[in-house]
Amino acid sequence: MSTTDATGSRSAKHVPEWLNSPAWYSKPSHPLSPALSRAQSMVEKEENKPINDSVEDEKFENEERSRQVEDHPITGGYFDQSNSALGENARSVLASSPLNAPHMPSFPSHQSDPSSSFLDGKGSKKTTSGAMRAQAFATELAKKRVHIAELQRLASEGIPDSGGVRAITWKLLLGYLPKNREAWDAEASKRRAEYAAFREELLINPSEVTRREGDGQAELYSTGGLLPRQEISHGDHPLSLGTTSLWNQFFQDLELVEQIDRDVKRTHPDMDFFSGDSDFSHENQEAMKRALFIFAKLNPGIKYVQGMNEVLAPLYYVFKNDPDRENMVHAEADAFFCFVELLSDVRDNFCKQLDNSAVGVHFTMGQLTALLKKHDEELWRHLDTVSKVNAQFYAFRWITLLLTQEFDFPDILRLWDSLLSNPDGPLEILLRVCCAMLICVRSRLLAGDFTDNLKLLQHFPSVDVHHILKVADEVKDRA
Amino acid sequence: MVLVLALGDLHIPHRAPDLPAKFKSMLVPGKIQHIISPGNLCIKEVHDYLKSLCPDLHVTRGEYDEDLRYPESEQLKIGEFKLGICHGHQVIPWGDLDSLAMLQRQLDVDILITGHTHQFKAYKHEGGVIINPGSATGAYSSISYDINPSFVLMDIDGLRVVVYVYELIDGEVKVDKIDFKKPQTAA
Repeated sequence: MSTTDATGSRSAKHVPEWLNSPAWYSKPSHPLSPALSRAQSMVEKEENKPINDSVEDEKFENEERSRQVEDHPITGGYFDQSNSALGENARSVLASSPLNAPHMPSFPSHQSDPSSSFLDGKGSKKTTSGAMRAQAFATELAKKRVHIAELQRLASEGIPDSGGVRAITWKLLLGYLPKNREAWDAEASKRRAEYAAFREELLINPSEVTRREGDGQAELYSTGGLLPRQEISHGDHPLSLGTTSLWNQFFQDLELVEQIDRDVKRTHPDMDFFSGDSDFSHENQEAMKRALFIFAKLNPGIKYVQGMNEVLAPLYYVFKNDPDRENMVHAEADAFFCFVELLSDVRDNFCKQLDNSAVGVHFTMGQLTALLKKHDEELWRHLDTVSKVNAQFYAFRWITLLLTQEFDFPDILRLWDSLLSNPDGPLEILLRVCCAMLICVRSRLLAGDFTDNLKLLQHFPSVDVHHILKVADEVKDRA
Repeated sequence: MVLVLALGDLHIPHRAPDLPAKFKSMLVPGKIQHIISPGNLCIKEVHDYLKSLCPDLHVTRGEYDEDLRYPESEQLKIGEFKLGICHGHQVIPWGDLDSLAMLQRQLDVDILITGHTHQFKAYKHEGGVIINPGSATGAYSSISYDINPSFVLMDIDGLRVVVYVYELIDGEVKVDKIDFKKPQTAA
């Protein structure tokens, strides 16, 4: 790719100045893990460009306040290695993730000039150390009445991994648990009972129903003679075509069950938690299948759409790894209700009939394009007219699956912290994050043609999610 | 849960043109996991039709079957149950419980599916169960002209079987069930 071309056109058109933040260009000060060096090599390519250094530094100073404690802003508190609930595979994902690299490319820390800044506040909060953040969460969650706005603010900077804080926070953010702390237990047990009732009612196995009815009547064939014929109950039998027939219902659902089964088996195939061969991962698969099936039965308008499994997976993973035993056992029910809450915000993207309407996924993608046009017109024009990469080709998956396919699992959890804690709903920030993702690889996009860009966007390179989130914040600030 | 369809003695086209329409509309692909038939389908077309309902088809040879390759008897295991199939014209006296029980011991099976008499029967015997699904087309037999079309569907799960008996009586399908358990074996 030719960098000169890209730079040439860049100086000609208006490029948002904040794009030149040195965060993009920072050099690694230590040997890197393979994944990181990959990300880094990409960043380095950008580094060749002429940058106005003095402007850069001034801008950057504002982000980095002196509140930085010994911990690095990026590693601070975000993946706690002592989290024993992680499966082996998740660990290996972690090990190769940039977040776990022993040393991060560090931000130069200058003294700040507080007068001129668009990044004020937001950037500085990120420097809070992990311990302090965990403390802040503990304090907030211990309150009798949780202050959601405060929790949202805390969570938008990442939730600590240890002690099940993320599970509780997500439940609160999604409105599954009430604000009033004392009501948590009652509410949770009410919902769990409700879920148990759904299971009872919807996961019917007609064979077992017949057996239950016939219990005690079943003959042991120890003695001789003619076997007695009995009337069948409710006229129901396996070949029945009646609409009220349990068997008929069962066979009609079979297709749905198979579809869910296929997809759930393919959820995060690299993680033991979901796709291992152990009893534990089978149990997880079964739980996810049940939850998705019940959702499909309760929402006949949407039913099940491929990809829902990916949206359910992070919720279930987080709840299942809650150190609290009671919560862990009921992870399925909790994940189900949180999934419903989450989908109530984004469900229109899953509905095929609405695809072309004002709430469907095409409209959402249109919003993304508009957002990009507003913030980086050059990039927008390049994608739209030069390389003709339609947003459908990449953003469809980004939006419907809430970015669960583009990043490593730990990064997904971090992204979701921000998604769920956004006061304007997950979709609003999701669009900003998608826009930020495009901007993060803008130089490569500007240099690429249709094929290059499509490949790049469909296999999004591992870019540090914190950069992306920061850019997403900036997109908002400038809106 | 495994659904096993057992039907036999269709005698198509010699004694009956086709399965009754009411049966045909109920027998749809995708529900049944195995079909076992004691024989006398007679022509290949019937064999192909059954295959279209369920590809796992086991047929033994009746005395009118065109296909000479069907075995005289067959054993298979479904769930916890050993099933045996034999048409039954070889077992004399025809339909005799003691003779069939002997065959069932010989084959060493829990459930023996047999035919030939065209009359639905389900016996329990000290060693197991003998089921005759009757004739699915209601074809006449060497014993009787007055035959109600019938077949059997078994829902096998663990040690328990629910047998659904489908019988066409005066143009209406009547369904009964027979529920039985296999005794726990010490071995």
